[in-house]
Amino acid sequence: MYNGLSLDQAPPLSVVIRFFLTVPLFGLALCMILFLDPIAVLTPNHPLSLAAIHLMFLGVITMSMIGALFQMQSVLGGRPIPAPLGNAFLIHLFLVIGILSLSGAFIYTQPILFVIASIALGASILHSANLILPLLFGGVTHDTLRGMRLALIALSLTAILGIVMASEYANESFSAAHDALRNAHYSLGLIGWVAALIIAVAFQVVEMFYVTASYSSWCKRNAFKVIAVTLILKLIWLIIAWPFVWVFDLVIGALLVGFVATTVKRLKERKRRVSDVSIWLWASGMVLLTLSILTYALFNITLNASLLSFALIAFALFALAIILAMMGKIVPFLVWFHLNSAGFMDAPIMSNIIPTQRVKGVFWLFAITSVLILSGVFYPPLLQLGALSGGAMFTLLLINLIKALKLYRYTLVHGTRFEQI
Amino acid sequence: MILEFMREDHRSCDHLFTEAENALADKKTEEAATLFESFYQATNHHFDMEERELFIAFEKRTGMMGGPTQMMRYEHQQLRSLLESMKSALNENRHDDFFGIGESMMIMLQQHNMKEEQMLYPMIDRALGGDAELMVQTLKGMEP
Repeated sequence: MYNGLSLDQAPPLSVVIRFFLTVPLFGLALCMILFLDPIAVLTPNHPLSLAAIHLMFLGVITMSMIGALFQMQSVLGGRPIPAPLGNAFLIHLFLVIGILSLSGAFIYTQPILFVIASIALGASILHSANLILPLLFGGVTHDTLRGMRLALIALSLTAILGIVMASEYANESFSAAHDALRNAHYSLGLIGWVAALIIAVAFQVVEMFYVTASYSSWCKRNAFKVIAVTLILKLIWLIIAWPFVWVFDLVIGALLVGFVATTVKRLKERKRRVSDVSIWLWASGMVLLTLSILTYALFNITLNASLLSFALIAFALFALAIILAMMGKIVPFLVWFHLNSAGFMDAPIMSNIIPTQRVKGVFWLFAITSVLILSGVFYPPLLQLGALSGGAMFTLLLINLIKALKLYRYTLVHGTRFEQI
Repeated sequence: MILEFMREDHRSCDHLFTEAENALADKKTEEAATLFESFYQATNHHFDMEERELFIAFEKRTGMMGGPTQMMRYEHQQLRSLLESMKSALNENRHDDFFGIGESMMIMLQQHNMKEEQMLYPMIDRALGGDAELMVQTLKGMEP
């Protein structure tokens, strides 16, 4: 039962940081596309729109979340990912190749790029799931672990459906089930992968890091069952082309509203009152998720395509807010932790690794970007301004990460270790 | 049984830390020092309960001497060192350092607590079986 159990605190720094360093680069590519042709990005199913969506959900969100999984797995899963250096290198490499190929495939409509993207992304995502999922079964289990299982299974299915659709794009031959496939692809990706993983992490992080009341055990026990069953039923309905598919969206919407309400209540009543940018990001994330749910509901009533774009962008920004909150903690912690564990007396404290002013800078740029881009859905001239502020945000994020890494390397070379005294 | 008792003790320590941190944020230095001392004592007592009783009982039952309990002991040492640094920062009125070190301590402590609550305590509960209740009484009887 205890075989392979290890409670190591953290994987090597390079394992996590390679994923995080790539995130702002894909973010900058996304902002560039938005700046150059904002109208095309807003047009549903336009190649540039599809490229932008995948840069966001794969290049920014999935890239960060897989990087974070390498850190979280050792803490929450009890069994660290084996050979983390080699596996992180391969997964990251194939993810980067896959995202670049897929974006290029949409932009340049090159069939060969769809093939390369399918192979690289399939390899990277399925290898990640194959690597991590077995570690989540067979030992002691808990609610967050169930959420991580669901998220990884949903990610794998999203990738498989993505490969099927990529083959349709490569052959320029779309089956009658293409719309159903697309609906299943984004339902699994957005809800099964992104939302489920964020909820799973929130169940642990919100309560413990901000010292709040616990989420109700009923919610924790049943949230992932509800998501899984609803997604499975929705897929069946989509495949058979039965009516009333919106009922499943309604169930998931209600669950997400419950998640927002309970999270906001906990954050508001948290015992730890010290002001913290990560709290602002969590709160912003909850506002954005609420906006996304509301506009998606309105879209189902009015069928106004702008509302669907708004809902999708608000959802992506919700995930980005939580990712920025998480990165702002994980990166300085890992830098400090590895230096401290290696015995460096002068290991910088977290607030000196990424100074608060620069973390606040990322938050304010994020807030401005969110307002501009969401307003831009209804008043497109604002989209280019949103792209510029988004570009500034990702640039500052990149600077923060590079400077943290430089400080780490500087201390490794010039720092004083206990054994040297 | 063990899980519930020890988890409650984690939350109680967290509460003391947030009170100390909140007091210092409100510039109530003396109150912060008193509250931090309570947190310091409570956390060290928690580590002592684990190291002197709980981990030893688990190791005897399972024969796992160098596994997760050893890693937890190592982390206790790291956390004790951070607590000392925070205490020095507070006594020397280096408040920014107190908050900065406190942030690292809080993340490390919470990751440590997560591992114990999610993995180790359920394992100890299983290993001790019917003796878990007796163990809780022993832990309750330990002098702080």
